Amino acid sequence: MKKIYTLFSIILFYFFLSSSAYAYIDPGSGSIILQAIIAAFVGASTTITIYWKKIKLFFSKIFKKKDNEKK
Amino acid sequence: MKKNEFEYESSSFRDNFGNVFIFKNKILRSVKSVAIENYQLLKKKDVFKKSISSNFLISFKEVPKDNLPNFFDKFHYVLDSEVIPFISYPYEWSFSQLKAAALHHLNFQIYLLNLDVVLRDSSAYNIQFLNGRPVFIDILSLKKYEEGEYWNGYKQFCENFLNPLLLGSLKGIRHNEWFKGSLEGISTLELNKILNLKDKLSLKVLIHIVAQANLLNKNINNPKDAEKKLKKIRKFSKSSYLFLLKQLKKWINNLKFKKSKTLWENYKNEHTYNDQELHKKKIIVANFIEKQKPDKIIDLGCNTGIFSEIAIERGAKNVVGLDFDENAIDEAFSKSFNKKISFLPLVSDLSNPSPNQGWMQNERKGLIERFRSNVLIALAVEHHLVIGKNIPIIQFIKWIKNFANYGLLEFVPKNDETVSRMLISRKDIFENYNEIYFEKRLSEHTKILNKYKISDSGRVIFEYEVL
Repeated sequence: MKKIYTLFSIILFYFFLSSSAYAYIDPGSGSIILQAIIAAFVGASTTITIYWKKIKLFFSKIFKKKDNEKK
Repeated sequence: MKKNEFEYESSSFRDNFGNVFIFKNKILRSVKSVAIENYQLLKKKDVFKKSISSNFLISFKEVPKDNLPNFFDKFHYVLDSEVIPFISYPYEWSFSQLKAAALHHLNFQIYLLNLDVVLRDSSAYNIQFLNGRPVFIDILSLKKYEEGEYWNGYKQFCENFLNPLLLGSLKGIRHNEWFKGSLEGISTLELNKILNLKDKLSLKVLIHIVAQANLLNKNINNPKDAEKKLKKIRKFSKSSYLFLLKQLKKWINNLKFKKSKTLWENYKNEHTYNDQELHKKKIIVANFIEKQKPDKIIDLGCNTGIFSEIAIERGAKNVVGLDFDENAIDEAFSKSFNKKISFLPLVSDLSNPSPNQGWMQNERKGLIERFRSNVLIALAVEHHLVIGKNIPIIQFIKWIKNFANYGLLEFVPKNDETVSRMLISRKDIFENYNEIYFEKRLSEHTKILNKYKISDSGRVIFEYEVL
């Protein structure tokens, strides 16, 4: 969750912060950093998916138990 | 060119891995010493073979240096690749052509990554059209994937493909004019400036355009900070690399041009041609092509490609068609794509054709340099330039004869409905605009072989040979 929070705060931060100036640096570095953010996002969503599956499994087990008890 | 002379392909100067040369109508690519190891590795892993047979990469073979000029002795390998009949640039492609090229690039990258190979860059100029389909031509752009590496061409991919497509799909603005003036594509910083809040509500736009633009800006302002961040940055996993490529592919696949009706869609419906006239034209074109059997033909004002298709059916090998209407070109492209024919439709305003430009004004070549053909057809084009753009008849004829030695050229007189409509809202300053004058001027520069009257309004097609 921490990852997601960081991601969204970064996005929001950049969304509101805007400026323009020119200097001599490889202009591609921003795009590399963005990819790192996307990678963090992919990592976070994978973590969520895994946890989500675990939660679903947990509940489905409970309900199955109940179903079995009914039977 | 003398027998043993070769020409340096001036657009390949940036590549430190190899350059391109033209020798006896062949396209030769040198492999420089820095690129040998990588080349041998990919060759050993059959990456080239697989990419060619999957129609991603242009086919090529290694050539022995015995028959080449001494200049080539210093290279370990010289590659001879299949010749593309007409080289085109992204600023001449319609929206759907650019989209097809973008998807080709992404599909190729996904295919390669599974073989542990990546592309070194994402230049749209590395894609050309061959038999209606996009193909990747820069053989030396393929390199071994290093674990944890980032997609180096991501920024360039956005500028060359994604941003121009978004300009079309979000704003309904054609990318062509902007791209023609800014040869490296449409910058993310600039695109970001013209997007409104509604455009930015999409998470994808927010990430790839807004966030990227702001990160780029931030790093321009604060290079030391960027340097620190880059040093600390984690490795980029292969799964994230693939995720990024696949997400972009899915997004681009769904992009459509934001449409408003253009002139030609209406034109097609209200067409002033009647069936009989069209039938006559088709027969004239068919007979002309059968007689000429041209290797290359240029169709000026090709519209949706009716006559280009006839030319292919009747034995022309390669056709390039030009029209200023992008919707017509989109439609023509879907024909050539589906039928896999060597018909390349391109967007071009003939009164302002693609110039020689880029580094040394020689990096990207002009229209005539690239599209010189054996024959030309220019039906229902002349009045758009002479009346529509005030181009004197004599200049029009001198210009058109540059393209080919043989041609079919239609003259549309003043009493024809289209011309009289063009003159409704303006003063008729075209004193000498008539068939007799036109024919006289044409015969000063060409030998008129045949003359066909095709409508009651007085439309005439001249068949000529350049003197």
